[in-house]
Amino acid sequence: MDLSKLKKRPAYPFETIAVAISFSSRCQSILVEAKRLSDALSASLVLMHIGEKTKEKEAELDEMMSAVGIVEANCRVIWMDGEPVETILKLCKLNIVDLLILGALEKENLFKFYIGSIARSISRKAKCSVLLLTNPTNEPHKFKKIIVNGIENPKTIHTINTALYLAKNLAVKELTIVNEVHLPGLAMAMADTSTAPEAKEIKKNLTIEVEEVLQTVIDKCDAGDVDVKEKIVRGKPGYAISKYAKDRKADLLVMNSPDTHLNVFDRIFTHDIEFILADLPCNVLIVHSRVSAD
Amino acid sequence: MVKLAHNELIVLLLSISTMLIISRIFAEVGKKFKLPVVMGELIVGIVLGPTILGMISPDVFNYLFPRTGNIPIALDGIFSLSVIMLLFVAGMEVQLPLVLKQGKVAVYTSLFSMVIPFFTGFAVAWFFPEIFSIPNEHDPKLLFALFFGTALSISALPVIARILMDMNLFQTNIGMVIIASAMFNDLIGWLIFSLVLSLTNGDKAEHMSLWYTVAYIIGFGLFMLTIGKKIIDKTLPWMQTKLSWPGGVLSISLGICLLSAAFTESINIHAILGAFIAGIAFGDSVHLKEQAREIIHQFITNFFAPLFFVSIGLKVNFIENFDATIVVIVLVLAYVGKVVGASIGARLGGMSKNHSLAVGFGMNARGAMEIILGTLALNAGLISKPIFVALVIMALVTSLTSGPLMRKFID
Repeated sequence: MDLSKLKKRPAYPFETIAVAISFSSRCQSILVEAKRLSDALSASLVLMHIGEKTKEKEAELDEMMSAVGIVEANCRVIWMDGEPVETILKLCKLNIVDLLILGALEKENLFKFYIGSIARSISRKAKCSVLLLTNPTNEPHKFKKIIVNGIENPKTIHTINTALYLAKNLAVKELTIVNEVHLPGLAMAMADTSTAPEAKEIKKNLTIEVEEVLQTVIDKCDAGDVDVKEKIVRGKPGYAISKYAKDRKADLLVMNSPDTHLNVFDRIFTHDIEFILADLPCNVLIVHSRVSAD
Repeated sequence: MVKLAHNELIVLLLSISTMLIISRIFAEVGKKFKLPVVMGELIVGIVLGPTILGMISPDVFNYLFPRTGNIPIALDGIFSLSVIMLLFVAGMEVQLPLVLKQGKVAVYTSLFSMVIPFFTGFAVAWFFPEIFSIPNEHDPKLLFALFFGTALSISALPVIARILMDMNLFQTNIGMVIIASAMFNDLIGWLIFSLVLSLTNGDKAEHMSLWYTVAYIIGFGLFMLTIGKKIIDKTLPWMQTKLSWPGGVLSISLGICLLSAAFTESINIHAILGAFIAGIAFGDSVHLKEQAREIIHQFITNFFAPLFFVSIGLKVNFIENFDATIVVIVLVLAYVGKVVGASIGARLGGMSKNHSLAVGFGMNARGAMEIILGTLALNAGLISKPIFVALVIMALVTSLTSGPLMRKFID
């Protein structure tokens, strides 16, 4: 496998968009969204199904493609047998996929969540960006509100730029960059020695620190005409932004790919992206940056 | 039901109010000189206890803190409740996901900052028990060695958090590594200490073998940190919206703490473990509102903590039990074990040499946690008063020096 083309490939533009086809009831709706995105971003489409290729399935896919308006000239269809997660990840690498689109339930049942559903397992391991669609419909749904996680991390600049690239091409009106303030141990440290004004001042200063860091990152981005807002939320990383996205009725939450290999312990002692995967607040885009930050 | 007599109730209320008011005055004065609050509380105990008041005015001392009758029993109940509450709030700040999040550097730092001081303390206690006047017999030597290793490996999250806050390092990578590692140290330290305490109580535990005790502790911990935590997580939003605020969450949380403490005590593991683990399960919930967390902290830290720390000075004469040799040995072992252990861990985790040393000195603060541990060991008959005094001095010295020494390597 020649992976040289993948190395240092920027997180955007999305030139190749892949869709995992499962022939579920929501499959056509996912194709509608994929078509909308590929048209808006001038990307080529790759449809991949992991499983046996049968005449019935072929006919069903043809029917869905024509209903959605996907023409074969702009699209490749790949059929392959194998273990779904590993095979999809392998196909994404082989086809230099920039964005993989998957349908995902907002919430999995407990057993499936801990064992790891296909969509969530791919989200944790993928070496390309992944878009999890929670409620795709047959009518293309325009993204109006995008929320981006502005966590202090070298990857964040690429994630914000990717979100801005999407916002510009999809004519999104509102893009909010959110950072979370979480201060474990602070309540205990302040409990016996701080007066009320001191405690307020300490919290205020710690929040200002986070705002300044976020502003430095935003200053490096090219927002163009997109109206970029900043917001600081308090709470555990992952959970706080997820709740904010839900409360704001966001259409898309954009975040960094995980820094480490996540396993079942990360689900038991939930943190960061696992809070989001446990209960998807809206559509989620996990941006995989292949280049290091400047 | 036995009741306190009219006069006894008056004396009990007088002694509690004396402890609370004087310790608050000392804490506020100490704050001006950037001294830890616990230091002021200990000094109040020494002033009000046999060391000073007992010497100057034995009549007043015996009136305020009588050694016979119902008052000492009532005070002992309050002090026991205080230590349970203190462990509950200590647990509330332990967030295990933070260790996973910080990754390799936090795992290495927490492991090495536990293992090296533990084995340093264990080895010295095992091979040289005579230094601590421990009989050279297998069982007492083993229990003391286990305790001493644990005492050297524990950290004090509140002191560390305060130091990081004062140094403006709270939200930095180095700050989070220290916090996460200290949390992990506390969890393992209290688990081992609970095991040692349950083994110490020979009468109660004679029907339980070491492995049964270990299995109970691990089983209880796993249950509370997985299923128990999920149940709390699911019910907290309901508690915070349907019950009166903040009274509802306050009484339910403290109720869960006491229930859990009662359970561990009933299965011959000390009540503190139940309280500590309940604190972790409760405090780790994403639904626990910041205000509720602060109220619980304020209530316990400003009511139960002064009573507990003042009570230490009431029980022990610090002058009579001061043994310079033991103090020096404990101090040297504490510094060497913790600083070397944590620094090696941080270095292996990928930190620079200077930052690794800063982590080492940051983790070295023992503070109130060490004093609680020592008090419980003293009450259980595991250590003598001179060792206890040495541990208290070590806790204070490490807490006072941690910040300035850390600063040398950060700047």
